[in-house]
Amino acid sequence: MQWFRFAGIVIVVMLLQAGLVDVVAIASIKFDLLLILLVFFAVYCSASDAIITSFAIGFAADVIGSAIGPQTISFGLFGTLLACLNSIIAVRRMPYQSLVIAVVSLLSGTSALLLTFLKGQPTPPNAFLILLGTSLYSAAVGPYLFLPLLWLTNVRTHHFYRR
Amino acid sequence: MARKHVKISSRMLFTWFMLGGLILLFAPQNWTNKFQFVFTRLFGWPLSISRAVSLSVRARQMSGDVVSRGEYDRLQNHLANVMEELSQERRKVEALSGLHSRPALEGAKFVLADIITNSVGGLNKTFIINRGQSDGLAKDQLVLGDNSIIGTISEVSSRTAEVRLITDSASNMAVNIGELNVNRVMEGDGRDSAKVRMLSIKHQVKAGDNVYACKKAGFLDTPFIVGEVAQCKRDDENPSLWDITVRPACNIDGLNGVVVLIMNPQN
Repeated sequence: MQWFRFAGIVIVVMLLQAGLVDVVAIASIKFDLLLILLVFFAVYCSASDAIITSFAIGFAADVIGSAIGPQTISFGLFGTLLACLNSIIAVRRMPYQSLVIAVVSLLSGTSALLLTFLKGQPTPPNAFLILLGTSLYSAAVGPYLFLPLLWLTNVRTHHFYRR
Repeated sequence: MARKHVKISSRMLFTWFMLGGLILLFAPQNWTNKFQFVFTRLFGWPLSISRAVSLSVRARQMSGDVVSRGEYDRLQNHLANVMEELSQERRKVEALSGLHSRPALEGAKFVLADIITNSVGGLNKTFIINRGQSDGLAKDQLVLGDNSIIGTISEVSSRTAEVRLITDSASNMAVNIGELNVNRVMEGDGRDSAKVRMLSIKHQVKAGDNVYACKKAGFLDTPFIVGEVAQCKRDDENPSLWDITVRPACNIDGLNGVVVLIMNPQN
């Protein structure tokens, strides 16, 4: 894993998510680039790299979000689970990637909302509706972003089996 | 000398990172906020550019009256503030004819600030501005946009501050509706409006009435426009009360900069 390249990609994605993604928002619902990045690294990296990248991307999501902690834990947990699952079932075809993005988005989003509530931070009444919209939008866009990400990260896709 | 290669198991790695995450989760908010402030300070320039680009694209997508609409809102809000101030002054003159009183906002300081970034989750209605304690900002100070109150300072660091909008679900503010002389609490609904409840239906309220923030010692010396009544219906749970929806007096999403009102500036 090229960590400097990873850090650069995460920072660029944070900046895009914090502003430019608003341009393509549909009814105030935006896709989550950091979540797509999480699924990408969980699917294409080794288990230990996937754990590090999941927690790092979660922390990045918290930094541009409202509170520090909830997304770090949620992304870390579900990124790790996905990495473990990926050593058994390959997620290479686009429809499966879409499905995985939607499921991970819903689960990590719900968990992040619960943790935000636990932290004593306010959660709006329509949070689950926004979460559902974000999950579907991310699932629709995500697989198309995997190709440029593969090129950017230079991940060797032929390695599927992990130890 | 050969460097010893340390191999950490995935399970151990996960445990340590999870522990770190839990520490961050339960650490006080004013400590962890520093990460966000540092990020916005380091990347303030690209964040401002990306926000400006998204605003200009959104403005182009909308009809061509965006600029004039903003100007219209600003002037309407200014007019409403002046009219309310005038009526207050008239009442004072009637009650205390002959006595001199100073204008309400005389001596107040207005700090102009640029919006660096919104909270991106879409769940919280907050944004970060490029002014902080070093510019005289403090928690709970009121933030204006297009001559109307749009929120309060919720967190502040030396060079940046977080603004909680009136539409945020954690926001609450004492307000007065139209000509009524009754103060009620307005709470954000987490969407793009706010709610005023606990107002008896014996009071006359109609859509289009202006909503003013009440005076608050040290923060606001005169009522100031916050929004207007968008919808007024009987409360579902208690039909003897109004359920009032308040629309902010300006288009908050279209703002590039805001003004922080400091009533008692420290020289």
